[in-house]
Amino acid sequence: MVEFLQFLVPGILIGGVYALLASGLGLIFGVMRVVNFAQADFMMLAMYLSWALFAGGFGLDPFLAVPAVFVVFLLLGMAAHWLFIRFVIGRRENHDAQVILTIGLGLIFQNLILIRYSSEPRVVAPSYANAGDFIGDIFISRVRLYAFLLSVLVAALLFLFLNRSRTGRAIRAASENWEAATYMGIDIDRTNRIAFGVGVALTAVGGSALVTFQSITPFVGFRFVVVMFAAVVLGGLGSVSGAFVGGVLIGIIQSVSQVWTSAAVKNVWVFALFLLILYVRPNGLFGKVQRAI
Amino acid sequence: MLEISDLSAGYDGVPALRSINFRVGPQEHVAILGPNGAGKTTLLKTISGTVEADSGSIRFDGQDLLPQSPHKRVEAGIVHVPQGRMIFASMTVADNLRLGSHRRLARDRHDERRELVLDIFPALADMLGRDGGALSGGQQQMLAVARGVMACPRLLMLDEPSMGLAPRAADDIFEGIARLLKSETTAMIVVEQRAHEALEVCDRAYVLESGEVALEATNRELLTDERLAAAYLGSEI
Repeated sequence: MVEFLQFLVPGILIGGVYALLASGLGLIFGVMRVVNFAQADFMMLAMYLSWALFAGGFGLDPFLAVPAVFVVFLLLGMAAHWLFIRFVIGRRENHDAQVILTIGLGLIFQNLILIRYSSEPRVVAPSYANAGDFIGDIFISRVRLYAFLLSVLVAALLFLFLNRSRTGRAIRAASENWEAATYMGIDIDRTNRIAFGVGVALTAVGGSALVTFQSITPFVGFRFVVVMFAAVVLGGLGSVSGAFVGGVLIGIIQSVSQVWTSAAVKNVWVFALFLLILYVRPNGLFGKVQRAI
Repeated sequence: MLEISDLSAGYDGVPALRSINFRVGPQEHVAILGPNGAGKTTLLKTISGTVEADSGSIRFDGQDLLPQSPHKRVEAGIVHVPQGRMIFASMTVADNLRLGSHRRLARDRHDERRELVLDIFPALADMLGRDGGALSGGQQQMLAVARGVMACPRLLMLDEPSMGLAPRAADDIFEGIARLLKSETTAMIVVEQRAHEALEVCDRAYVLESGEVALEATNRELLTDERLAAAYLGSEI
C-alpha cells in the first residue's frame, strides 16, 4: 500500500501540470477548432524564458516568474493569432493549412532556439530543487508540490475567468456556437485572439512549472506533445475541464503503472486506457454530445 | 430606418437573393412570407452580416451597413434571433440572457431588461438556473426571443419563431411578441410560415419567391383581398 501511494502521489502532482498544459490546447481547440501543433513548442519557449530569467543574471525563482511568463505568452499568443492563425480559421478547407501552419511555427521555434542556445540541456536548479518532506512514509518533492499547487491555482483562475468575466462568457459562447455568439454582438475575431493568447499562456505557465525538474532542450516539446493531445482527446475535444481531468488521469497512470511494470513502458498504459475510453465513450469522458440541430 | 436597394447575395456563387428592394420604417413591423428556399433567412443573414452581399446596398439610419462587421451591426441596434433558436445549451438561462446584453448599450440595463423579458415570458422566470439545453422547444424559443430583447434592439429580426413548435407553444410565442410590442418601440422583421399569426403583429408584408420580392402589401390588403390571400398565403386564410 505504501509503495502504491509512493507512486500515486507523484502521479497526481505531475498530472496537475499535464492538466495545465492540456487545458491550453483544449481551450484553443474548443473555441476556434484549431489543433495547435505548435502548442508544445510555445511551452518549450516558456521554459527557456524561465531559464533565462533564472540563470541569466536575474536569479528570478521560476515560480515567482510565472506572472511575467503568463503576460509575455499571452501577448505572444495574441500576436501569433493576429499574424497567422486568424487567416486559417473557419472554413473546412482551411484544415490542411492549419496543420501545416502550426507544425511550421513549431519547427521555426525549435530551430531558432537551437541556433541561439544549441542543443545542450539547460537546468533550472533553485536552492530547494532537491528538497522534500515526508508525510507519513510518503516522500513529497518540494518542486513537484509547488508545480502542482501552481497548476491548481491557475486552473481556478481560468475557471473564474471563463465563468464570471464578460470576456470569458463570450469565449464560452463562441466555443459553443460561433454564429449565435455573432448575433449577440460578440466580436469573434477578438474572442479568438484572446482565447489563443490565454491558451498559449496556460501551456507556457505549465512549462515554467516543469523547469525545476525537467531539463530544457529545443526539442523538449516532443516529450509532452503526446501527453497533451492524449489528455485533450481523453477528456473530450473542446472541453477545458475534460482536458484537465484527462491530464491528471494520465499523470496517475504513468506513475502508478511503475508499481508493476518498467517506467520505460509507462506510456503504453496511457494508450491502452486511451483506446479503451475512446471505445466506450467515443466523444471522450466529458465530450460534448453532437446535436442534430 | 432600414433601406435595402437592389441587393443580391448567394452562397458560393449560387444566387439566393436577386435585386431585393426592401424597407422598414421607424417602429414599423414587417413580415416576410414565402415558401421554403425563397431566400427569407438569407435576407436576414445579409442584414445581420453572416452572409455577404454580392451587390446592392443596405442602409441603417442612413449609414452603409455592408462594410461593417456583424458585431458592429449589433452595436448599431440590429438584433437577429436566428432560425433554430441557437440558444447556448450548456449555459444556464440566466447566462444566456446575460449574453443577450453583451451589446455596449444594453450592458448597464441588464437587470431592468431581464425584468421586462420575464414579464413577457413568465415561464422563464422559474428556470433561470437551468441549462438552456434542458428546456422544451417552446421554452427554448422563448429564451431565444428574450435573449434578443435583452440587447435593447432598435430593429428586432425574428426568423421563424414558431418553427417546429406545437400550435399551443407557437401561440405562447406570438402572445409574448404581442406583449413585447405593447411596451417597446422597436422596429421588427418577422419571417414566418404561419402567415396569419405573423400578420397579426405586423403592419406590412413582403412575399419572397425564388429570391425575388413577389409582392409587397399592407397586412390589411393581404388579409382582405381573397385573390392575394389565395395566391400568396395558401388556403389557410
